[in-house]
Amino acid sequence: MRRFFTSALMRGLLWQLIGWIVGAFFLTGIRVLMGLNAFVTGQYFFTEPAWVFGGLVGALSYVASTGAMTDWFKWAKGEEVPEHREDPPGWEKYLNVSLDHKVIGVQYTVTALFLLCVGGLFAMIFRTELAHSGLQFLTLQEYNTFMSLHGIVMIVGILLGVAGLMNYLVPMLIGAQDMAFPRLNAFSYWVAPPAAVLLLSTLVFGGFDTGWTGYPPLSERAPLGMQMFFLGVAVAGWASILGGINLIVTVVRMRAKGMTAFRMPIFVWAAIATSLISSTATQLIGLSFQMVMFQRLFGMGFFDSDKGGNPILFQHLFWFYSHPAVYVFVLPGLGIISELVPVFVRKPLFGYRFVAMSSLGIALVGFLVWAHHMFVSGMNPYLRIPFMFSTLLVAVPTGVKFFSWIATIWKGKIEMPTPMLFVVGGIVVFLLGGLSGPPNATVATDLHLQNTYWIVGHFHDTMFGGYIYPFFAAIYYWFPKVTGRKMNEKLGKIHFWLMTPSFLTLTLLMMRVGLLGMRRRVADYDPALGFDNYHLVMTIAGYLIAISVLIFLYNLFVSIKKGEVATGNLWNSRSPEWLVPSPMPVHNYDRPFEVIGEPYDYGLPGSVYVRFEEKKNQSHKKESIDGTYK
Amino acid sequence: MEHTNKSDILRQGIIVFVFLAALTALEFFVAIEIGSTVLLAMIAFVKVGLVMYYYMHIYRLNVQDDNLDRHSYQYKLTTSRMGLWLFLLSDAFIFGGLFISRFNLLGLTGLPLSPDSQYIALTITSVLLLSSFFMNRAEVSMEHGDRNGFIIGISLTILLGLLFLAGVITVEWPSAIRAGVTTSSNAAGAIFFIMTGMHAFHVLTGVIFLSIVLRNGLRGVYSPEKHWAVESATVYWHFIDVVWIFFYPALYLIGKLI
Repeated sequence: MRRFFTSALMRGLLWQLIGWIVGAFFLTGIRVLMGLNAFVTGQYFFTEPAWVFGGLVGALSYVASTGAMTDWFKWAKGEEVPEHREDPPGWEKYLNVSLDHKVIGVQYTVTALFLLCVGGLFAMIFRTELAHSGLQFLTLQEYNTFMSLHGIVMIVGILLGVAGLMNYLVPMLIGAQDMAFPRLNAFSYWVAPPAAVLLLSTLVFGGFDTGWTGYPPLSERAPLGMQMFFLGVAVAGWASILGGINLIVTVVRMRAKGMTAFRMPIFVWAAIATSLISSTATQLIGLSFQMVMFQRLFGMGFFDSDKGGNPILFQHLFWFYSHPAVYVFVLPGLGIISELVPVFVRKPLFGYRFVAMSSLGIALVGFLVWAHHMFVSGMNPYLRIPFMFSTLLVAVPTGVKFFSWIATIWKGKIEMPTPMLFVVGGIVVFLLGGLSGPPNATVATDLHLQNTYWIVGHFHDTMFGGYIYPFFAAIYYWFPKVTGRKMNEKLGKIHFWLMTPSFLTLTLLMMRVGLLGMRRRVADYDPALGFDNYHLVMTIAGYLIAISVLIFLYNLFVSIKKGEVATGNLWNSRSPEWLVPSPMPVHNYDRPFEVIGEPYDYGLPGSVYVRFEEKKNQSHKKESIDGTYK
Repeated sequence: MEHTNKSDILRQGIIVFVFLAALTALEFFVAIEIGSTVLLAMIAFVKVGLVMYYYMHIYRLNVQDDNLDRHSYQYKLTTSRMGLWLFLLSDAFIFGGLFISRFNLLGLTGLPLSPDSQYIALTITSVLLLSSFFMNRAEVSMEHGDRNGFIIGISLTILLGLLFLAGVITVEWPSAIRAGVTTSSNAAGAIFFIMTGMHAFHVLTGVIFLSIVLRNGLRGVYSPEKHWAVESATVYWHFIDVVWIFFYPALYLIGKLI
């Protein structure tokens, strides 16, 4: 227990608190020197700028105290550091700074699961409130805060989950020993926990009622929690940006011999496409939130129409990231589906090249569609048409993926263990999400669907089909690689068969009440609309999903110690990581491999994907002080 | 592409600097006399092209090194270069967002800076340009083992960087505030302060980075073969210059046009 409380995770939390208070006092001191008021007699003691500055100092204190930046400080001082640090055996390495991409991947995934559960808990709270018309046990402000936090906590959770999958899998799939910049990788992870703390701290600071989109002018006058939300998103954004850069460089520079672009696994293509978005566009959400933050702190009138500002500018900047962000969420998931389908149907992936390019296609077209969120915002009406067409264009590369999956499954020898169940479930749910998309992309219908529960149903279908289902599939599939044990098959099937019908009921009913006129993001609705029964069913379905997730978590924890031992190639995969025993050795492959065939040629006699070389790998040299290996 | 003779490269650096200075003068003249935004944009792109090619050596990304050992310094050097350039690309999106915001808010409010502001801006732009020139000399000196040249070049760069910061904070901003442009006066004032402020923040980080490199350079940490820290500081410094090449006309020169 002592080792738990002295871990970097807990140490960081303490230092974040200290840094927060010290920073707030520091800024208060400056305010006193400038002759401004020092404290607020109301509820929050410090002034808003002091809290914001303290929050930033606290987040940096967290990262610095974990030791994720220690090697950089040493470089700045001109000292040498070893290229790799060995982790201690046991569970402690997961709570401390590690440079191993597999450890970091697990850290990301566990943090993501934690945040997804917290976000789910928020959803359960306000879903219960909605079960009946009228206000039951939440105030309007509380409802809005839980609704907003559900959105952003889920989004950050998904981003961390995506990073977890990419961190764990990509170096292994391309035959690298680690990411290109292991220290940057550790840093990217360790900014996530303080960001999560900042986001959850909004609950203490009066919450915020804007939804996760934070549109001004409402966000300009929301409680102090709004600022913590902006700060938390900005800090979490660093993880996304730096992780994306790291991943692109890793794939470009560290692939195994013979792994040409069109012999890379599809998941690697998806990870590249995702990282292109997350490493560039993320800056824009940071910027837009920073501008609102400054508007509140310094009275800068970017989005204040009284001062000649333009609130629609915020929406442009915000959606320039936040639409491509949904492709950040789903592209890795769709990559997982393409990765797993051939394994379980024992057939080559249909149209490999087209699937590979479709990920990039979605990512690039995704940069040109943002204003479809703004058809009713009051922007110039003629802008709607190009954005409508560019949005509909996204359906083409997405359709390519569907054709590939169906053609791959066609006449295959289908096996249905739990990962494949979630893959098929993901395909079906994502299809529903995809088909409910074009009505929102088309201006004429979107004018009526905007801000209704139809939209809520649509994006929950895309998020579950494109991310949650593949995420579960990936956990069931690669769990043996991490632990050397298999997750319980029966519990996995119960998880699936409980979650899927409940989820479909939930989202299809959401779409139904949305079409009938139920508005989203509202705490109450008119009983005369006759939605009470629908909402009750939705709430029950929500609880069933929660129960299925609890079963999954139970399965996960029990299987770590007591699962069936599985150290071999239990899925009969061609992928290199399954050709070595589980769990994976520290530096991945003892012998480097060479790619000599196509990745997905399942069922073709005599075809080989990788061949391991005979010679032993070179030992690691000490890195020069100049440190090209960041 | 790469010359090996040191004096050739230094001469090349001077020629590029003369071109950049001439283009800046031309830019100023175009803004005052002709008032063509298209011409301003074209000149800015030419300047950025010159800086990215001759000072930032973007072509160094394009190397065929599959035959190298993955653990060799040379291979990792290119890997690090790619990481740095991707970081700059990412950073450019912040500045791009600010740049676009400036134009989005352009028609709604004016930016009534004082008449002197054009000369203040031209002066601090020249300071930054000059610092880029000395940074290039410092890097070239390091590549050719001229330790004194390196120390002198990087010291001058740091001094000019500090001069730029002082110019922005103690001359440019007070002058704007005297003319009635404050952070809270109107949207254009806000965008003026956030653009100059964000750029100045990057200059500050660059100065800190360069000071660390100078300290380690004085202690003899870098060699002509291994000086990635020097190179990355150089590229980062020139990137700050590239940002200013766009911000300068967007903030000041087009002010004459509207």
